[in-house]
Amino acid sequence: MPEPIVSVRALTKRFGGLVAVKAVSFDVEPGEIFGVIGPNGAGKTTLFSCLTGAQRPTSGSIHLRGERLDGLPAWAIAHRGLVRTHQIVRPFREMTVADNVAVGARFGRGRRRGADEKGRIRDILARTGLTARAGSLAGTLTLGELKRLEIARALATEPDVLCLDEIMGGLNPAEINAAMVLVRELRDAGLTILLIEHHVHAVVGLSDRILVLNFGERIAAGRPEEVLRDPAVVAAYFGDAPEEAAL
Amino acid sequence: MLAAAGALYFAPSFLERGTLNDVWSVALAVVLASSWNLLGGFAGQVSIGYSAFLGIGAYTTVLLALRGMSPVLTLPLGALLAAGFSVIIGYPTFRLRGPYFTIATIGVGEAVRVVASSVSFAGGASGLRMPAGSFDFESNFRSMTLLAVALVWIALVVSRSAFGSALAAVKQDIDAAEALGVNSTRLKVTVHALSAALVGLAGGLYAINFQYVSPGSVFDFRLSLTIVLMPIVGGVGTVAGPVLGAILFGWLQLKLLSIPALLNSSLFIYGALLIAVMLFEPKGLLGLVRRLWARRLRRFYVDA
Amino acid sequence: MQPALDVVVNSFLAAGLYATMAYGLAVIYGVMRIINLAHAGIMMLGAYATFTLFTRFSLDPFLSIVVVVPLFFAGGVALYRTVVRRLPRSGSTPSMESLLLLFGVWLVLQNLAYVLWSGDTQSILTSYTLRSVSLLGVRVGVPALGVFGMSALSLLVLEFVLHRTYLGKAIRAVTQNRDAALLSGVDADRISAVAFGVGTAFAGLAGTLLSTLFAFTPDFGRSFLLKAFCIIVLGGLESVTGVAAGAFVLALLENGTAAFTTLPTSLQDALSFTLLVVTLVVLPQGLPGLFRLVRDRGRG
Repeated sequence: MPEPIVSVRALTKRFGGLVAVKAVSFDVEPGEIFGVIGPNGAGKTTLFSCLTGAQRPTSGSIHLRGERLDGLPAWAIAHRGLVRTHQIVRPFREMTVADNVAVGARFGRGRRRGADEKGRIRDILARTGLTARAGSLAGTLTLGELKRLEIARALATEPDVLCLDEIMGGLNPAEINAAMVLVRELRDAGLTILLIEHHVHAVVGLSDRILVLNFGERIAAGRPEEVLRDPAVVAAYFGDAPEEAAL
Repeated sequence: MLAAAGALYFAPSFLERGTLNDVWSVALAVVLASSWNLLGGFAGQVSIGYSAFLGIGAYTTVLLALRGMSPVLTLPLGALLAAGFSVIIGYPTFRLRGPYFTIATIGVGEAVRVVASSVSFAGGASGLRMPAGSFDFESNFRSMTLLAVALVWIALVVSRSAFGSALAAVKQDIDAAEALGVNSTRLKVTVHALSAALVGLAGGLYAINFQYVSPGSVFDFRLSLTIVLMPIVGGVGTVAGPVLGAILFGWLQLKLLSIPALLNSSLFIYGALLIAVMLFEPKGLLGLVRRLWARRLRRFYVDA
Repeated sequence: MQPALDVVVNSFLAAGLYATMAYGLAVIYGVMRIINLAHAGIMMLGAYATFTLFTRFSLDPFLSIVVVVPLFFAGGVALYRTVVRRLPRSGSTPSMESLLLLFGVWLVLQNLAYVLWSGDTQSILTSYTLRSVSLLGVRVGVPALGVFGMSALSLLVLEFVLHRTYLGKAIRAVTQNRDAALLSGVDADRISAVAFGVGTAFAGLAGTLLSTLFAFTPDFGRSFLLKAFCIIVLGGLESVTGVAAGAFVLALLENGTAAFTTLPTSLQDALSFTLLVVTLVVLPQGLPGLFRLVRDRGRG
C-alpha cells in the first residue's frame, strides 16, 4: 500500500460562529483522481482553500508527502507541488494568455527561465488547446477558454497535486467531455488530481474514489458506486425520501 | 535614449543657468515620478509618503557632509538608508491591501516629518545647512539628468522582465498570483526598496543643489502628493506616463510662478487635475492620447 | 489617583468628539466602500463656516449647528450627485479612483479656504471659551462639555435613526451586505446620496465643534482624519457603540501618554498612526472582532 500523497486529519475551519469544515479526515493516494462532492455550502471550496493556503485552518493538519502544509502561505504550498484552479476564474485580464501561463512557469515550482520557459509554455498551451489564443488578452476569452487557462496556469507550476474546483461549471456537453479527457491525460502523465464537481456523471466517470461532504462534515468516502448507494449520501442530496431517489 | 543623455550632458555648455535650473527641476520630477511608478504603477500599491525617502536621502547627505564626509560618498549611503527604512515600514504595511495601505503611508509620511522636526541633532524645525565647500553645479546637473535617463531605462527594463510580470500579476490579482507561487510580500518589499533607494539618491543630489534642508522642504506632505500626481496624471503604470506627468508639472510650476494671480491656486489646479483624471481618464494623459489616436484610426478605416 | 481620573474624564469628553468625527467617515465607507479623504477638508470647512457665522452674524458656535448641519447635508448630497456618482464602481472592494478623486476634492476645498479666509490661523473666542467647571473633581473647560453634549446628542439621534427608521435600516443593510440589500429592493443610489449627505453633515458638525476647542488653518483636519481612520479600524463599522468604543480607546491612549510620559504632543500623530497600523495588522476586524473572538472561544 503506497504512502498517501496528501493526508488530512481532523481539518476544521471556522468563520466566526460558522463552522464551514468540521473535523474532516481523508487520504489521497498518489496518481489517483479523488472526487469531492456534496450539496451547495457543504464546505468543498473551503476545504480546497485550506489545502492550498488561501485560508488558514482553525485546527487539524494537512500533510503533503509527510510534510506539514497547514499554516504555510499559498506560494510556499505551490512551491511544494500543490496548486489549484479557482471556481470563479481569476485570470490576469490585462496580460496575454501566454503571459498568464508564464507567471505560473516562472514563479511556480519549476521556476523556468528563458528558452526552457518558452518551450514549457508552448507545451502547456497545446495540451489545453489554447495555442490559437496565446497572444490574446485574457480579458477577451470565453468562459470555456478561461477555465482552460486556469488549468494551464496551474500546470505551468509543475505540481504533483492539482486541485480542480468545479472546472466544468458553465460548460456545454462537448466541452465537458473534452475536460474529462484532459483530466485523464493529466493523471496518466503522473499528476494526482482532486476534483470538486457538481456534474455527477463526470465525477463518477473520472474518480477512483469520492469524498462526500455535507454541512462541513465527511459523510461518506470510497469508490463511486459504493458512495452513491450510501443512504446518508442519498439523504443529503434528496432528503429523507429514498423511494424518490430510487426512481 | 543615448542621444538624450548625450544632449543633456553637453547642455551646460550652451544653455544659460536659468534654463538649466528648470531642466534640473524637471529631471528631479522625472526621477521621483518614475521611481514612485515602480511601486505605485507597476505593482499597484499607492503610497502617499514618498517624501520620507527624499528627506532621508537629503538629510543623510547633509549630516554626513557636516561630519566631514565627501558629499559624493554620502549619496549611496542615503540611498541605502532610504531603502532600509522602506523595508522596515514595508513589512507591516504591506499586509494591508489597497486603500488601507495608502492611508498607512500617509501616516508614515507624517510621522517621519514630525520626528524630523523634533529631533535636535537633525537641526529641528529650522533645518540644516551644507558645509561650505566647492559646489559644482555642472556635475550636479549632469548627475541629476543622468539619473533621470537611467530611471527611464530602469523602468523599461523592469516592465519587460520576469520581475515586471510578477508585479503586474500582483497588481491585477494578488491572491491568484500567490496561488501560483509568487511571494507577493517579498516582491512588494523589493520593488519598494528599489524605488526608495532611487528617491533617496535624488534626495542627496537635492541637498547638494540647494545646500540646505529642512523638514518643511523635504518632508512636506504636498511633495508626497505631487510625487503621486505626476505619474497618475501622466499615465500610471506605463514607462512614458510619469515622464509626461513630470514635464507637465514642471511646466505648470513655471507658469504658476510667473503669473501672480495663479500662485495661490496650485492646490486647486492639482486637485482639479486629479478629479478630472479620475473621472474621465484614469489612464492619464497617455491613456487619453492613446484613446484619441485609436478613435482617429477607426474613423479613418470606416471612412475609407 | 487624581491624574488617572483626570485622564479618564478628559478622554471620555474627547471620545464624544472623536466619535462624531469618525462616524462621518464610517457611514460613507460602510454604504459605498469609499474612503472619503475630503472628510478632513469638510471638517475644516465646517470650522470656517462656524467662524464666519460667528464673526459676521455673532451666532454662537453651538447655535450655528442648526445652520451648518442641514447646509452640509445638502452639500454632501450635491457632491455625491455631481462627482462621486460618476465613478466606476469596482464592486464591493474600496477603489483607488474614489480615494484619489476625493483627495482632489480635499485639495480644492483647501484652496477655497485659502482664498476666502487667508492662511492665517483663526479661532473662535466666546464668553465661555476660557471658563471651566469642576467635574468629579477634575477641571474641564466649558466648551469641552458643550462639545461632548452635542456629540452625545447627535450620536443618540443617529442611533435612533439607524434602528427605528426605514432609512436607517436600509443603511445598515447596505453596510452589512450590499447585494442582499439591493435584492431586497433598497434604492442604492438614494441610500448612497443620503449616506454621503449624512457623512458630510457629521463632518461639518465635527468641524463646528472642533472650532470651539482649537485654532484652525486651511491645513487643519489632516491629523483628525488620521485619528478618525484609527477609530473606524478599531471600532468597526457595524455600530455607533463600536465607533464610540474605538474613540474612547484612542482618546485614552492620547491623554494617558500625555499625562504619564514625556512624549511631546507633536508626536501624537505618530501615535495615532502607530495604533492604526498595529490594529490593521493585528486586529483586522477591530475591537468587535476581538469581542467576537472571545465570545466564540467561550462558546467553544
